Amino acid sequence: MQFELDEQQRALQHSLARLLADRHDHETRRRIAASATGWSEPHWRQLVELGLAALIVPETHGGLGGTAVDLMVVMQEIGRSGLASPLLGSCVVPAAALCAGADEATQRAWLPALALGEAQPAWAHDEPGGDGGALWVSTRAASDGDRWLLDGRKSAVHHGASADRLVVSARVAGADGEPDGRALFLAAPDAPGLAARNVRLIDGTPARELTLRRVPAQPLVLESGPAARAIDAALAFGIAGTCAEMLGAMEAAMRLTLEYLSTRKQFGRTIGQNQALRHVLADMQVSLDVTRSMAIAAAVQAGRRDDAGARADLHRAKLVVGRHARSLTEAAIQLHGGIGMTEEYAVGHSLQRVLVLETCFGDGDLHAAALDACVSRTDSPSGDGSSV
Amino acid sequence: MDLDLSPAQAAFRDEVRAFIRERLPADIRERLRQGHLPRKQDTVRWQRILAERGWAAPHWPRAYGGAELGQAERIILLDELQRAPAPVPQVFNINMLGPVLLEFGTEAQKAHFLPRLANLDLWFCQGFSEPGAGSDLAALRTTARRERDHYVVDGQKIWTSTAHVADWMFALVRTDAQAQRQRGISFLLIDLKTPGISVRPIRSIDGGEHLNEVFLENVRVPVENLVGEEGQGWECARFLLANERSGIANVGACRERLQYARELAARTRRAGRLLADDARLRHELVVLDAEVRALEVTNLRFLLSSAAQSSMPAFASVLKLRGTALQQQLHGLLVRLGGADVREHHGEDDESGAPHLVERYLFSRAGSIYGGTSEIQRDIVAKTLLG
Repeated sequence: MQFELDEQQRALQHSLARLLADRHDHETRRRIAASATGWSEPHWRQLVELGLAALIVPETHGGLGGTAVDLMVVMQEIGRSGLASPLLGSCVVPAAALCAGADEATQRAWLPALALGEAQPAWAHDEPGGDGGALWVSTRAASDGDRWLLDGRKSAVHHGASADRLVVSARVAGADGEPDGRALFLAAPDAPGLAARNVRLIDGTPARELTLRRVPAQPLVLESGPAARAIDAALAFGIAGTCAEMLGAMEAAMRLTLEYLSTRKQFGRTIGQNQALRHVLADMQVSLDVTRSMAIAAAVQAGRRDDAGARADLHRAKLVVGRHARSLTEAAIQLHGGIGMTEEYAVGHSLQRVLVLETCFGDGDLHAAALDACVSRTDSPSGDGSSV
Repeated sequence: MDLDLSPAQAAFRDEVRAFIRERLPADIRERLRQGHLPRKQDTVRWQRILAERGWAAPHWPRAYGGAELGQAERIILLDELQRAPAPVPQVFNINMLGPVLLEFGTEAQKAHFLPRLANLDLWFCQGFSEPGAGSDLAALRTTARRERDHYVVDGQKIWTSTAHVADWMFALVRTDAQAQRQRGISFLLIDLKTPGISVRPIRSIDGGEHLNEVFLENVRVPVENLVGEEGQGWECARFLLANERSGIANVGACRERLQYARELAARTRRAGRLLADDARLRHELVVLDAEVRALEVTNLRFLLSSAAQSSMPAFASVLKLRGTALQQQLHGLLVRLGGADVREHHGEDDESGAPHLVERYLFSRAGSIYGGTSEIQRDIVAKTLLG
């Protein structure tokens, strides 16, 4: 058991924090959100220059060979800063899928480009009417001579409009929620038969809903077993990343609240002297500490395959972090009073961001149900492996 | 970052599990599962079994009968005991007084008391709170007046857990009425058989007698029973409370109650339906499972990482707030699962094997009051954040 970041991780944390402090603040975030695309290419390039696109790509494919703990460090800083970035969805998650499920040739074809930030695919897995989980894939893939054609709908494709490719989960066999028969395909964003509706999520994130009718696609992972591993790994890294980002967003809300309670005066004294408010603040701190623990747990467990205890911890993390992120950011707004309700002030953005992140890669209800299935199977509440 | 036990830690855990499986008396285990608190005889019997294995005082030095366990092993041992469930080493002797004697005691005090504390030959209780000094402990008014080689103690203690079955009490007393209030306090060991002491049990809402009033009238305490210097009592008390952090989250107890809730749900039918088949209840159970896991990782993180400790100096308060909240939720849930049947009151010495879930639930309300109320803990956390 070990809970400290290593030297490299601290260095990464430090350089990213400095970069973001220099180049990004709430005003910048608002400007980016109000822009036509909803994200900032220059900021993204800076992340790429720092090597973050290469973070979890293995060294043999031109990456840094980092772990989900490294990812946690990065996403926590991004969460703190409130930067809208395609890093998780367009880079880390597809890379995790390819690393876990694609054959060597496919990995060689795509991972180096991902690592350089040259390929920017969007992750198209969620579906309208689905649950955000790994199994629900109703989009169909049918082979048509030497090509594949996709039919179905995808939702919440983050940064889909700016993506140069789409990684689409589709079913070559089996019924909609079944484990077997899922596969991953690559489609062009302007492929024939693809209709897109651009949307903005409540936090300003640009996303797309896709309708696919006989969309030609190239198989990335066709076999059921490898595809299942690929999707599981994608979701595991997605969960670890969103938990860390929620942690960062909570830290930002906490910092603003502390400043506000220390400076805002009413009835002739700073409002932070009022016990009612101090006690809410203490409960926020408890939420923050619990979240930090589960963000770590998610990061540590995300890299483990075929490990029931690790999977249960990922479900627990997404469930717990979502709950505490909501309560902390709600309380942060409450302690600010009216100013907390304004778009102009940063604290409300934390709640907006949390509202989006808590549904990414499965919401609390989905993970509660999945955890229920895990613990019922093992008949042990915590998993009794060598992990405590 | 790594959540795994080292091979040595995993081996230690297996050893503890095997020992508990082999040696924990079935009747004690069953009573605890039913919701009873351990009786004095249960704790004594089990602690002497632990003492045979050298685990009665997990973190004390070997020279004084301890096991000298490191922090991680100490957490593992406590966790396994609570999960079993087995009584934990008597907290006043082992977690509170022992470390204070090791830090502030004379060689004579250590040599005399520590082995007796470890083997529970002497059962100590804690005489801190007074009618006018609860959360504001430094307001205590019990006085100890020096008369040659004795202190003469006068005053009253209250909420003194287990005083009615205890042999001795360690107490905070005022030895200097003129000094600034914390500085006038001293730490005394008092034999409860001394003339002038009367103990009156207070029946609590769970129907049990755990708490007491202790009246002290002209009680003569030999000066060699002073721990540390005169006026050093507050420092001893602070040290004692800081030492209490290790078990403050009670993660294993949460796990055990959660597991018991699952078992109860799996065998209880209401209106023909198994409780375990109720989707709402299952959801509630997994949310608790996830929250208890979060408490567990938080506990490990704070107790094993100095960086985590310095990031939140009031971490013990965070652990107590979260731990008591989850325990109270779990006890509340168990009462619901027990339904109307568990509302029957059986009395403390009940041997019928009936569940004591409602009594245990009622007692659990004390968790957020003793050892610093939740409100005091929130004050402490807020103070580290806002000053």
